[in-house]
Order: sequence, then structure tokens, then C-alpha cells
Amino acid sequence: MSGHGPRATGDWPQAAGADGSRHLIVQADHVSRVFEMPSGDVVAVRDVSLDIAAGDYVAVQGPSGCGKSTLLHMLGCVDTPSTGSLLFEGRDVAALSDRERSLLRLRSIGFVFQRFFLLPMLTAAENVELPQSEAGVAAAARQARTRELLHYVGLAARADHRPSQLSGGEMQRVAIARALANTPRLLLADEPTGELDQATGQHVADLLDRVNRDGTALVIVTHDTTLAARASRVVLLRDGSVEREETR
Amino acid sequence: MTALPFAWRSLVRQPARAALGILGVAAVGALLLDMLLLSDGLVTSMRDMLERTGFDIRVTATGDLPQGGNRIAQASKAMADFATLPEVERVMAIRFADGTVETAPGADTAGADAARAPAEDDPTQGPPRANEAFVSIQAIAGKGQQPWTVLSGRDATGPLEVVVSQATAEQLRLPIGTAVPLRARCQSGSGALPATTVRVVGLVEFPLALGEHVIGSSMATLDTVCGSNTADEAEAILVRATGDVEQAANALRRARPDLRPLTNDQVLGRVQRTGFTYFQQISAVLTTVTLGFAMLLITVLLTVSVNQRLGEIAALRALGFTRGRVVADVLCESALIVGLGGVLSLPLGLALARLLDNILKAMPGIPGALHFFVFEPQALAWHAGLLTATAILAALYPMRLVARLPIAATLRSEVVS
Repeated sequence: MSGHGPRATGDWPQAAGADGSRHLIVQADHVSRVFEMPSGDVVAVRDVSLDIAAGDYVAVQGPSGCGKSTLLHMLGCVDTPSTGSLLFEGRDVAALSDRERSLLRLRSIGFVFQRFFLLPMLTAAENVELPQSEAGVAAAARQARTRELLHYVGLAARADHRPSQLSGGEMQRVAIARALANTPRLLLADEPTGELDQATGQHVADLLDRVNRDGTALVIVTHDTTLAARASRVVLLRDGSVEREETR
Repeated sequence: MTALPFAWRSLVRQPARAALGILGVAAVGALLLDMLLLSDGLVTSMRDMLERTGFDIRVTATGDLPQGGNRIAQASKAMADFATLPEVERVMAIRFADGTVETAPGADTAGADAARAPAEDDPTQGPPRANEAFVSIQAIAGKGQQPWTVLSGRDATGPLEVVVSQATAEQLRLPIGTAVPLRARCQSGSGALPATTVRVVGLVEFPLALGEHVIGSSMATLDTVCGSNTADEAEAILVRATGDVEQAANALRRARPDLRPLTNDQVLGRVQRTGFTYFQQISAVLTTVTLGFAMLLITVLLTVSVNQRLGEIAALRALGFTRGRVVADVLCESALIVGLGGVLSLPLGLALARLLDNILKAMPGIPGALHFFVFEPQALAWHAGLLTATAILAALYPMRLVARLPIAATLRSEVVS
């Protein structure tokens, strides 16, 4: 893979300021998420407080149904907490309109999904271009950025291939390139290696490591302990609550 | 990638589904176009026919349409009264009569018999003799352009000269120059009159002729054929105005309060009320049904398509696509299906209209110049407008689906499934 990072500008705030303070991207303060079901309320996330700073690499682990994905969706401003407050770069996410949250996600957050969700009718390059196009990036700039990102994930030669012509690992790498398209401050990955074999998963994990090393804060939800072991912080959830938090 | 190209890529992603939708809209659009052409076609065609006669006003005795009421008595005096008016450019009296012609062996008289069968209670009329065919006679008195169009030969200006319609000439074998015995039914008891030989001098188009076989002549020729015992009567007096038609009609009313002038617009309005309303009602019902069908077809196709892509749509929303953008994608997809289908529907609809028009015009008693389906730019505008409205309405439900898509729940359920 190429040695240069996914950010052309490299003007993100550093993980720690000159005075040693951390630049916080997300501040979740006693957040809970309750789903109203016919059989009664289900508390998916219960009273979780979590800060994500620039440069962090956080793994969220726990048994199935413990609320990992729900927490990830709240951190990514896809969902809002039922109680508690969640600030994204100081802005109260719950107070934002749907459109404002969409634009926040578009410009500041990248998502990587277990099932990739690449658009099958678009080529790899077009999939990477799509969020940039939506963000209003000029054609020449987004084409250059797309070339850079595909080179970064090692798929420059596959730019014109459709997802159906790519392997699972390649699709996930394209999905990572797409997530990085608008140079997000925070990259969220939900079981990024869940659909991949071990060797391919290792390659994707290596790529995610590199994305984090190059300065993007990373939160992954995973059952994969080897992947979680790469994170600098591991949050263990059980029944929606933080059971343990380990910093390495 | 903006919404429209994105929608195009989504559409061609499943070519069979896209083709099904587009062809479905094309078929429905063709029917819609035909219904629109039919709804106003008869009126437009009728207006065209009335205007082609070259007269603006028809004066009758009772206000009924010509052949629908009593004749005008002392027609010559009425013509003279009207001709002096400054609002009147020229006048012409027209009289209709039934008759029979002796045809050459091998002439096709079957259609004529069917079309002009005599009334059962008329003792003066019997079935035509061998080699005889029923004809409608239009006799006119007055100067200037006749209420028919000469196609070949010349007009019947001399004594015992007649013009015939193209169909009459072909089916009854009456080419220009033919001398043909004509027997006319002029008034009660005239059935026993001997035939008078008249000469065909021209082939013409009778815009308003209702019979299948039509002969045109001067009033003098008809009088001769009738044994010189016709009354000075006319079914109608045709008037061409010098200027404003309504003003001319008022002048006619003032000059002869006993007669009833009808402008072309009034004739059209009357015909529209009495005859064409059914076509318009049928057209409106069928238009509604076809549009409803189109709407359901597109809604089903788009809904299936959206349901198949819920995960992708949720992912796009998570990546930052706004609600408005994903809704616009669906609307553009609907617009593409309807737009492409609508364009295809135009040649299809016009070809179908021509076919149906020919079938309907083959009915006995339909004037040759009358068309049921008439193309007008206005119909095209309605067609486009109605299809656009259908595209929007059809997309409402799938648009609502994507607008209300719960992103987090959909992403979760996609992983679980």
C-alpha cells in the first residue's frame, strides 16, 4: 500500500493540544437508548458515557444484542439518545434537524458496514466519488481524491470494476475508501471483518490501523478479539451498559 | 452524481424491470393519447368540416340542424332578403333529396342499399330495382363556391350536370363523363317519375355528407329530375359573413325573424351536446382508468425496487445523503420510467389512433371527412401533463417509504437478515 495518508490537507486538530488537552470529537454523557416495542420498552443502551478524541482507536465489544451497534449509530449521529446528551464537536446532536445531522455525517463521519453496501451499479471509483459529489466537491478534485484513496487502499487497478467483480476484501477496502472520501474526523466500522475470512480480515484490519495512524479517529464494533486487540481502548458492553473499559 | 443520473443507473441496474415499466407506461400512454384525441377529435373534425364548406351561418326554418326539421318555404325570397344585408357576403340555398341511379353491371350497390334503405311507411319508395343504387342528392342554388370541394373534373354548373363523391364514383362505376339515369324522390308521390339522365362532370368531397353515395347538383337540375314540380323550398340557407359572424347572425334574425340562423359554433355546440358528449364521457372514464393503471404499475415497480434496496438506501443516509436527496432519487426514477414510456407512447398512440379511426370511419353513414381521432398540440400538452402528474402520484408511496426509513433499524435488520 502507499505510504501517503488518506488526507490531502492534513489539517485536523491533533489528538492532544499544546497544553495536553485532548480534542474531543464525540462526548456521550449518560446516554441511553430505549426502543418502544409492543411487548414493552427495550433498553438497548443504558447510561453510557464515552468520549472519543481525535486520533483515538476504540473497539466496542460485547455479546450479541448488548447494544454495540446502537451505541455506534448514536456516536455516528444516525440515531439520537432517548436520554442523556451527545455532543459532536460541541454540537448537541439531538438538537440538530435531520438535514443538519445528514450534512454532519456527510462531512465529518465515515461509515464502514459489515455488508459493505456498495452500490452494485457503480464502479469502485464511482462508489468512492459518490459522497464527495453529494458534498459538492468539484469533479476534478473528487476524481483526484478518488484516485488517491483507491491507491491508498491498494485498489487503484480496480477503479473501473463493479462490486460484483471484486472479492469481499476488496469490496470492504472500497467501502473504507468511500468512508474516507470526505476526510471525516471520525470513522465508524460495524463488524468490518464480519463477512471476511481470517486472512482477508487481517488485511482490512491492517488498513484500518493505518487509517487511524494517519490521524482519523476510529471506532469499531467487533466480535473479533484480534481486531479489538489493535485498538488503544476497548469498551466492553453488557446488557447495554459499559461493563469495563480498558486502555492500552 | 446528481439525482437524475443516479436514478438512471438505478433503473438500468435491473433492465427487465425497467423495460417492463417503460413498456407498460408506453402502452398506457398510447391509450391515454388516443382517449385525448378522441375526446376532442370529433368536435375538432366537425369544426374543420363546417369551416371547409366556406359558410359561417346556417339558416333553417325551425332552428333544427339541416335535415332535422321543416324546410324553409319560399327559399328564393329568403335568399334575396339576406343577400341585401351588408353583413352578408354571399348566400346559398341547399336542399337534400333521396334518389336512385341506374348503375353499370358489376357496380357495388350493397353498401348503398344498407345505408339508404327506404322508410317502411313510405308507399312511394320500394327497394331499388336491379342495377339501381340509392343515393343522397345535395342540390344548391346561389353563386360562388359550392359547399363541396372539387377533386377532379369540374363543378356542376350546367343543366343536368352532377358531381359525385369519390366513393360513389368508384363503387357505382360513375367516372367523369358518365351519363347516368337518376330518379329522385322530391316529394310525396314522386316515386313514379321516370329517370332523367344526368352527366357526371366532377369528383368532389362532400364535407358534411352523411350518406355513403352522394350526388351534388344545382337546384335547377334537381327540379328537372323531379319533373319541374319542386316547391321553392330549402333545407337551409348557407350564409358567409363579411365580418363578425355574430353580428351577421343578428342581422339575419332581424331581417327574417321567422327563420333561425345558427353559427358554426352554435351548430358545433348543439352537436356536441346531443352526440359527442358520449364520446367525451367514455373518453374521460377510460382516461381515468388508464392513468390509474399506470399509477399502480409504477407504484408497484418502484415500491418493489425500493424494498429491495432498503439496506443501500439506509447506508447512503448513514453516509450523509439527505432525506430530500433519496426522495429525489425515487422521484427521478419514476420520472424516467414515465418520461421514456411517454415518449414511446406517442408513435404508438398515433398509429393506434389511425387504425381505430379507419375502423370507426368504415361504419355506414359516416361523412368521409369526419375523423374521430384528431391530433392537436393541446392533446400533447395534456398527455405530458397527465403523465407528469401520474409520475409524481405514483412515486408518492415509495418516496414516503424512503423518507421515513429508520436508518439505524434498517442497517441492523439488514445485518441480521
